[in-house]
Amino acid sequence: MSGPLSSSSAAGAFSRRSLLLGTLAGAAALATGCTGDPVEDADAVTPAQVDQLAAQVQVQETLVTAYDSALSAAPELATTAAGLADQARAQLDRLRAAAPGAGASSNAPPAPGTPAAPVTDGPPDAAGAREWLRSRVTAAADAHAAACPAFTGGRAALLGSVSAGLRGQAGQLA
Amino acid sequence: MPDAPSTAPSPTAAEDAALQSALAAAHTAVWGYAVVGAALPLEQREPVAAARQAHRDLRDRLAVLLTSRGVEPVGAEGGYALPFPVLSAVDAAVLAVTLEDGTSSAWTWVLDQATETGTRELGVAELGAAELRAVGWRTAAGRTPVTSPFPGLPD
Repeated sequence: MSGPLSSSSAAGAFSRRSLLLGTLAGAAALATGCTGDPVEDADAVTPAQVDQLAAQVQVQETLVTAYDSALSAAPELATTAAGLADQARAQLDRLRAAAPGAGASSNAPPAPGTPAAPVTDGPPDAAGAREWLRSRVTAAADAHAAACPAFTGGRAALLGSVSAGLRGQAGQLA
Repeated sequence: MPDAPSTAPSPTAAEDAALQSALAAAHTAVWGYAVVGAALPLEQREPVAAARQAHRDLRDRLAVLLTSRGVEPVGAEGGYALPFPVLSAVDAAVLAVTLEDGTSSAWTWVLDQATETGTRELGVAELGAAELRAVGWRTAAGRTPVTSPFPGLPD
């Protein structure tokens, strides 16, 4: 046989990942106000997108809080959910890095059409904590997926990737 | 004097190139899942058939999309070389993970390059579907963690 299954794909992935890293590094530079580079300009965000990115940070913050609440209510969930919570926090860090001006907590309203994850409720009880948490993970995945098409470049890739990662998490909590 | 033919690239040229990569990944997955299925007992092949059909459907959809834009869709390779020998059910699951991770990489690239909103909607849906399949195969392969926080992106 010819046409290696992995070698050409791997080379392509390396190239793609490098570009994505470069784009996201550009996002971090934007967050510090360092604009003017042509690459950054190509992936610049509009004021409306800044608000929407901040809203997605808020969605993810809500999800991280939901993991903490669920694990407090049902410590036995830790076997399944502690690692997922760590991944949700890593996603939050990356979203914050890509969101110009996003602080530790955003007050931006959800963008139109973006399903907002509930903020104020908690798991009903230990028995229902798993299903409650799964519904929150799914809501966050839906919110990021809905927001993704409004962006371009590395931010669209990041939101799509985070949404996909949360779909996988929801499957583990089913 | 007639105008010279425009040499300006198509506004969707970068997106089309990324879609071609996604199509190539779909061709690879359709081929690869045949190997995955052959290494598994009959009673474990249902998810293989479902995954292979999903990649077939996606392949056909991408070919139609590219053709509608006047772009010749890439074809399947004449053959593919396995990245490792597939001699057991675990090997088969690891190969399936490789196929789905490659699919995820291709679709994150589409999201990065896409200029059309509809393409990004397709991309985010396919990326989620690939990760759901990958989670199942990582479980079957005994990998931990079975989930990925950033499918298709570097760790």
